[in-house]
Amino acid sequence: MKIEAKNLTAQLLHRARGNPPSTLANSAISNCFPGLEFDFRNIWRRLFVGIELHEADNIVVAVDPRSPYKSLLHHRLLKVADQPTIVPVVGPLDGGTGRAVRLTSPPDNPDGVWTLEWSNAMAAIVHKYAGRKTRVRCEFTARKAMNAVGLKTDTKRKVVYLRVRSIFAKNSGGATIPVIDSEAVLPGELTQSLCSPWQNDYRECLCYYWASSRPDYVNVELDDDGVSTGNNWLSLKREPKEYFLNAGSPALITYAGLFREWQSRLRFIIGGRDAD
Amino acid sequence: MRILELRLLPTLAVGRLGGSPSPMDNYEAVVDPAHPLEHRQLIPAETFEVNTRTGEIVRVFVPTKVRFTVKNLVRPVAPFLEVWARTSPTTLVPLTTGLLRSNKLSATDVSWRVHVANLKLTRRTGEDNDRIEAETSDITDHSRRELRGTCINFWKGKYLPLGWVQYIKPTKDFPEIRLRFTPGKGLVYGSSRRRPGSGLRRDPNLADVLYNGRHANSWLGHSDKNSDPLTTVPSPIYAHTPSDRQNSRGYIDDECDGIVEVSLNAGGNVLSAQARIGAGPPHYAPDSFPVRTVADELEQALYGPVISRSEADPDKVEEIVRRAFETVRLMNTAVLNGNVEVKGQLNLSSNMVAQDNLDTNRSSDPVMDPALVDNLALLNLHQNVLTALRSGTAPWITDVLRNYDEVGDLTDVGRRKMPALMRGADGRHLALTRRQIDLIRKVGQGPIFSERPRPKKGNRVSRKRGRP
Repeated sequence: MKIEAKNLTAQLLHRARGNPPSTLANSAISNCFPGLEFDFRNIWRRLFVGIELHEADNIVVAVDPRSPYKSLLHHRLLKVADQPTIVPVVGPLDGGTGRAVRLTSPPDNPDGVWTLEWSNAMAAIVHKYAGRKTRVRCEFTARKAMNAVGLKTDTKRKVVYLRVRSIFAKNSGGATIPVIDSEAVLPGELTQSLCSPWQNDYRECLCYYWASSRPDYVNVELDDDGVSTGNNWLSLKREPKEYFLNAGSPALITYAGLFREWQSRLRFIIGGRDAD
Repeated sequence: MRILELRLLPTLAVGRLGGSPSPMDNYEAVVDPAHPLEHRQLIPAETFEVNTRTGEIVRVFVPTKVRFTVKNLVRPVAPFLEVWARTSPTTLVPLTTGLLRSNKLSATDVSWRVHVANLKLTRRTGEDNDRIEAETSDITDHSRRELRGTCINFWKGKYLPLGWVQYIKPTKDFPEIRLRFTPGKGLVYGSSRRRPGSGLRRDPNLADVLYNGRHANSWLGHSDKNSDPLTTVPSPIYAHTPSDRQNSRGYIDDECDGIVEVSLNAGGNVLSAQARIGAGPPHYAPDSFPVRTVADELEQALYGPVISRSEADPDKVEEIVRRAFETVRLMNTAVLNGNVEVKGQLNLSSNMVAQDNLDTNRSSDPVMDPALVDNLALLNLHQNVLTALRSGTAPWITDVLRNYDEVGDLTDVGRRKMPALMRGADGRHLALTRRQIDLIRKVGQGPIFSERPRPKKGNRVSRKRGRP
């Protein structure tokens, strides 16, 4: 059995003998917010050497005290290589005319902008600059900015050129290997912003975009009206089949139930149905 | 063959919590190509039984059934990490006792170090003394090591059990060099202001009380500040009191992540390699996979946002569509669409409609026409997409994908782009990775699908390793 040394995907997704599919990175959710296995946004915090960014916002949360960038603390990164890190938010305003307008929400977001996720916003930058000596032009707000700031053309900026850190480690020959670099992400940082304890989030967060790990709608079938009917995954009883929209319903597993008895209460779902 | 370099594979291994002493068996999640949107079949696969006392693999077997629980306890997913050796400029092979011998080395020349941490408390309080970390010394024998997470702010003698690691003892039948990580049991631990054992009233939610909550800025009672941009997003996400201040109950779980390092002392020349491990919740719908995964993030970071024409593989696009459907299938789409009423109940759920309103003051309209979004109706929609892809008539699909920089478009047209009704890492409607989108667009531009031979009905896809 052999693997090509240059085939990085094969090494990332190698199924070691005896490992089930749920051990691999392609079973772990990345549209996290706050995610389940990892909050993978954390891999980008130290993307730029000398500063540390918030995992989900364009604010500088820490600076290397030895770096010349100490004054960037709490400034916001607005552009990298002339690419904006934020986009305007537009749509029909609550109570408005139905026409699309800039959706501002003072005092936190008076300019009506949203920070893009680093993974996509920085994808081309990472590809071009990561691990190289060439520095990239970064434009920050001229002042500390605890609230979101838009791209106003008349606003002064603080421009610095920063090195882009490689997210991945290199081998002794200098070639990239598909391991997250130990300087980019410290032990514990991939899970640090997940819910504590994780069981709490299964009840607290009523949004279900992580269905493979936290199903929502199970035992689904057609009802007499020709539409679906099924159970909340958290329903204590499966009959009668009913989907409870009241999150506080006593028909659902309680917080205490999740803390104490999650192993016997939460059901594995196979083929869309309770597995046992 | 000379050992030039080591690699530890997989480079990111996901462990999953569970209280059963019996770790999860291996299985395959297999797609029937003639029925690509049917549920994947879970088929038992080659499983190792490890004697945790000796560290040896004592049996390899294929279970008769895939079972995720035993006696009401979840079986933890305990991944093996294999050491591979580069023996030429281009080739990696498994590191075995035979390969070690041919280099005048033995399994005792291999050592391991493991460093994992749970930084959830520190991330909120900002206190370094709240870091919970477990770090082993050099492991060269085959005894099972408990990963004891220690913390300056724990009560004296207390530690957080974060699982175990074991250097598997190579044998004649299993000569490969490997380590097994078994995650924690998924228990909840707590905090107190009084020393445990001093008449403290027992909290039945907790396995033990670890954290001393007496000091200032304690995890016990911590409250995320509403206006603080440095808190987690979203916040607060921890067990808290029902009061307005949402004070932390001081609960701690046994999730963690960290680094495994293997070293080989080859006559004074030390070769080493690292891999990442993590411990998360079980994969509760194991025949379903997320539409955007950690592997997608890492591939984009490795290779960039653009694929070459030669990488434009229709099977990969089909897999993305399948995974999107696997997520949608387990969502109550009428509820997540923001339909005002669902089966006579008022819909006040936390869906993207509510989030858009809360975050941006957008009006609270359903995303799609409420009549179109029943869960079973969407099965037909995804089936049509796959049919169009396979017949080579799918260029329209590329027009309805949401670009990463369109997440601020909360008009009706913007919100109806694909993937719909899901939330992305930036908190707005989900966009795929740029690399995924480029793949779909490049495949959609070509006649690839119409030229591709399709498997006959009933044929089963080969059991590919690596990509389910």
